[in-house]
Amino acid sequence: MTNTENTLNAEKTQNLVNLTIDGKPVSVPHGTSVIEAAKKIGSKIPHFCWHPGLSVAGVCRLCMVKIEGNPKLQIGCNTQVTEGMKVETKHQEAKEAQKWALEFHLVNHPLDCPTCDQAGECKLQDYYMQVGRYDSQVNEEKVLKPKALDVGTELILDTERCILCSRCVRFEDQVSKTSSLGIFNRGDHSQIGLIPGRRIEHNYSYNLVDICPVGAFTARDFRFKCRVWFLEKTKTTCPGCSTGCSVSVFGNKMEREYYRLKPEVDHEVNGHWMCDYGRKMYKHCNASARQSVPQKNGTPVDWNRITNELVQELTKARNKKVALVLTPQYTNEEYALVLSSIKQILGTTPTVFIWRPETENPTEFDGVLFRGDHNANTKGLERALSQANIQAEIIRGNIEPLKNANPDLTIVLGPEIEMAYGNIENTLQSLSKLSNVVYFGVTLSDTTKQFSLTVPTKVFVEKNGTYLNYNSMPRKLIANAPVFSQIMGLDDMFAAALQRIEQ
Amino acid sequence: MPLMKNDYLGRKPEDFRIFSIFEGKENHRTLDAYRQHDGYAALTKVLKEKIPPDDVITMVKNSGLRGRGGAGFPTGMKWGFVPKAPGEKYVITNFDEGEPGTYKDRYIAEMNSHMLIEGMILAAYAIGAAKSYVYIRGEFIEERKWVETSIREAYEAGFLGKNILGSGFSHEMDIYFGAGAYICGEETGLISSLEGKKGQPKLKPPFPAVQGYLGKPTIVNNVETLAAVPWILRNGPDAYRKFGTEKSAGTKLFNLSGPIVNPGCFELPLGYPLKRFIYEDGGGLLDGKKLKAVIPGGASAPVLTAAEIENINLDYESVAAAGSMLGSGAVIVIPEDISMVDVLHNIMAFFAHESCGQCTPCREGTGWLFRIVDRFKKGTATKADLDRVYDIANNMAGRTICTLSDAAAMPAKSFIRKFAHEFEARIR
Amino acid sequence: MAYVQVSQDPTKDWRNGYLLTTLKGLGYTTKVFLRQFFRLEKTVTKQWPDEEPDYSSRFKGKHFLTQRPDGRVRCTACFLCATNCPAQCIKIVAGETAEQGIEKFPVRFEIDILRCVFCGFCEEACPVDAIRLGPEYTMAGLAEEKWVYTLDHLLNRPAIREKIGAAQLSKKVENEKWNANANH
Repeated sequence: MTNTENTLNAEKTQNLVNLTIDGKPVSVPHGTSVIEAAKKIGSKIPHFCWHPGLSVAGVCRLCMVKIEGNPKLQIGCNTQVTEGMKVETKHQEAKEAQKWALEFHLVNHPLDCPTCDQAGECKLQDYYMQVGRYDSQVNEEKVLKPKALDVGTELILDTERCILCSRCVRFEDQVSKTSSLGIFNRGDHSQIGLIPGRRIEHNYSYNLVDICPVGAFTARDFRFKCRVWFLEKTKTTCPGCSTGCSVSVFGNKMEREYYRLKPEVDHEVNGHWMCDYGRKMYKHCNASARQSVPQKNGTPVDWNRITNELVQELTKARNKKVALVLTPQYTNEEYALVLSSIKQILGTTPTVFIWRPETENPTEFDGVLFRGDHNANTKGLERALSQANIQAEIIRGNIEPLKNANPDLTIVLGPEIEMAYGNIENTLQSLSKLSNVVYFGVTLSDTTKQFSLTVPTKVFVEKNGTYLNYNSMPRKLIANAPVFSQIMGLDDMFAAALQRIEQ
Repeated sequence: MPLMKNDYLGRKPEDFRIFSIFEGKENHRTLDAYRQHDGYAALTKVLKEKIPPDDVITMVKNSGLRGRGGAGFPTGMKWGFVPKAPGEKYVITNFDEGEPGTYKDRYIAEMNSHMLIEGMILAAYAIGAAKSYVYIRGEFIEERKWVETSIREAYEAGFLGKNILGSGFSHEMDIYFGAGAYICGEETGLISSLEGKKGQPKLKPPFPAVQGYLGKPTIVNNVETLAAVPWILRNGPDAYRKFGTEKSAGTKLFNLSGPIVNPGCFELPLGYPLKRFIYEDGGGLLDGKKLKAVIPGGASAPVLTAAEIENINLDYESVAAAGSMLGSGAVIVIPEDISMVDVLHNIMAFFAHESCGQCTPCREGTGWLFRIVDRFKKGTATKADLDRVYDIANNMAGRTICTLSDAAAMPAKSFIRKFAHEFEARIR
Repeated sequence: MAYVQVSQDPTKDWRNGYLLTTLKGLGYTTKVFLRQFFRLEKTVTKQWPDEEPDYSSRFKGKHFLTQRPDGRVRCTACFLCATNCPAQCIKIVAGETAEQGIEKFPVRFEIDILRCVFCGFCEEACPVDAIRLGPEYTMAGLAEEKWVYTLDHLLNRPAIREKIGAAQLSKKVENEKWNANANH
């Protein structure tokens, strides 16, 4: 359990300690550290090695505070609050200590910020700007250490930039429990390195990049792609699996290109972390991976006409057999809207099928965050169907049940994240053999051209809505501007279709 | 080993011999030799008479015995911090003697390591520990053999093992070899190393007396401290207090090194005049050189000039009053013809090499100080470097987990303050 | 007390009349023409393109990228010029090498010169003195592609070598020279 979770639990027991920080009174649970108590009243104490999700190391010596009655400065991370304690975080002595701590950090830091990916979100840069001494005293030859080491499938390590805060070592020991990192050598020749015979190959390796306060760990996936100051973030939910971690998606608004995902702190779901599988969830959002124009029998259709085409297809199928194939990767709102509007347009309830991955183990759980159900909204789809009183048959890869229903019109809400479905090409092929298929999907392929109507959909970063995670907890999606400005979401499309019918 | 030369205030040398009693004897390292000098009498008395552990602690407290490793913390008080509740507890002997200039612990092993073993069993009895370790510095190959032999002898004689002397108290003892790190002489660093981790000091609190080795209550004591315990229990705390001063009781081993006529390990009562120690016991400097400076307590103690040592006595308070510290009792003598820049260069190279690299101020600061002092040695330093040494040293001291950064900062500051002219002469 | 005696309208004065002023002007022109014709006076007009005008050495003309001593590009693809560019005319794509001492380099470095306002902010932002605004002032062209300068054009065009020669070498060399001079 993390420190902060402890705090949350302890808060319920009302075992509070009263103290003053920078003259402001604050009450926190017994056992809280000064750094956390200060955070509560908004006075941020600079720190490198302390991380709320990891144990206390107390090695960076940056979070120095002055505590009344104590001759020596104390570190905020390892000092627990006591009743009546008087803490000064901006005391002249503490400020001087912080300045010098930063100065010491820079003695052997290469200062290769121009080529460092972390520049712009680097804690060393940020704190130096905030509390550093601008007339640097360092004028020394630096200790040279190995750079750009290949330490794992997703990571590159630069031991020169490392400030030896040991966050990564503790993460490996305490969170991923793989213990593949250690600090070797002594003194200013200390360096982070792999324990012989090990590599960082687990599913949580990108967290090391996040927790590294400097640019010692860089992500292969993001390395040199974009400078962080071009990126803007959108807080949303990861669609990678049924856990539904809170994440931020980082994109360059000007280029309309997404570059990465990072976890957001959410104590109820993911804590401070997220998995490497989830980090790939930006890839299908970018223009290069997506279909932007709807197609009718392989010929492009203008977005202005798409509602007409859709209404046409639906009205043609009135009083005929209609099958609706749903995948558990859409939002609750979309399910509700699609089910109700199709029913309204057709006048009857269509036969519903749930299309799930060919091979999956939905109950699997890796013990940290990642679940075997790689669909974000399995629970939401179940709920939507039961609310509409619909019994749905599950199809996996083989579409025989759908064929047997012999529908005159098949509406397919294809998967947004096709990666979760393994090779969907075969299924798409057999779907294309059916007469009259309206396919909603994200990715371009030759097979999708064979459908009578192919409609590109929005991806999760472009939608507002909710998922229900494995625990039936609603997870919120927040919309960003779409990559293709003209694209219509399912909501707009079906709402417009309904309007057209009513006219 | 050189002969002891003890003469103090008219008393005969044997009056205050605790460790040096075996000197010059034949087969002095054996159990028999130890028994001839009332060896294991204290242990037998404590176990046979069923003296309660608290009384043992009280006796040690009353004797005024202070940690001989360097900090001088009262030993009885340290033992008193261990929780009384039964459970796994440990006694660890800090035999990682790494302070430059110090060779007092190996002297004890060389004389008779049974003193240490008996002291450890008594300490274990006092806090209720069933297991103890002797953490020996890796380079001490001979000493390791001697201690090993003594432990084996103690097992054979029934002083170690299950149900010692029929008292119901059981105790096991093992040796652990260090890998040659100065920092493993720091108690929490030693515990980390003993746990099989990289030898790095741990955050305090929790203190080792509450959560030490493997998270269990542990006391870590210096060899000399523990070796004095049997004598104290045998002769009573008051007998021990007869030596030394009011606040620094007992005798202590002092190491004299440098260009001295008669260097070596001397057992002296605390409070012995430093000048007399150098000129009478040590026989003065070689070739009649003039004394320039003295480091009174190992490399980490601030240096004292020849003028400053005039009225200093070798006890914790007197040396502290002069602005230095008694430390491990390693008196290093520096004659007039040695450059203080070179001495500091040596010391700084040592600390830069020995910093464990955990806390930033120490990791980077020791290296930084070394680089600056190196510039002084090479003659490429600037005036600003002189001030910078102060700034760096001031901001290293007291800012880290253990006191190695203080130990590196203190000599740097004191050398530059007291011998500024020598450093200024090297400025480019 | 002061007053202006407006006894005569100056426009009606014969000395300001059409004939005399025209003759005066022609006379001056003839004088200058003759002086310059017989090379008694330097002409101001430059016979461009046969004759190159002298520009200040600080002139901010067409960009060029400086080289390392071995001819490789000095730019480390830090994007600071692109960040600082008010016209947003610089596009960089970074690549990685395993070469010693170089980790990041530009795979593509493009300047859309039609957007560029020649402010020199890119020069200011560059931490390694990789981009400079050079002395070239002619940028005429016909085809559309010419207006986006590529890495090769910025780094290796012969014109820039001709014009500034050794100054295109890396700053590091200059620094070394400077330090060598300062030390002795």
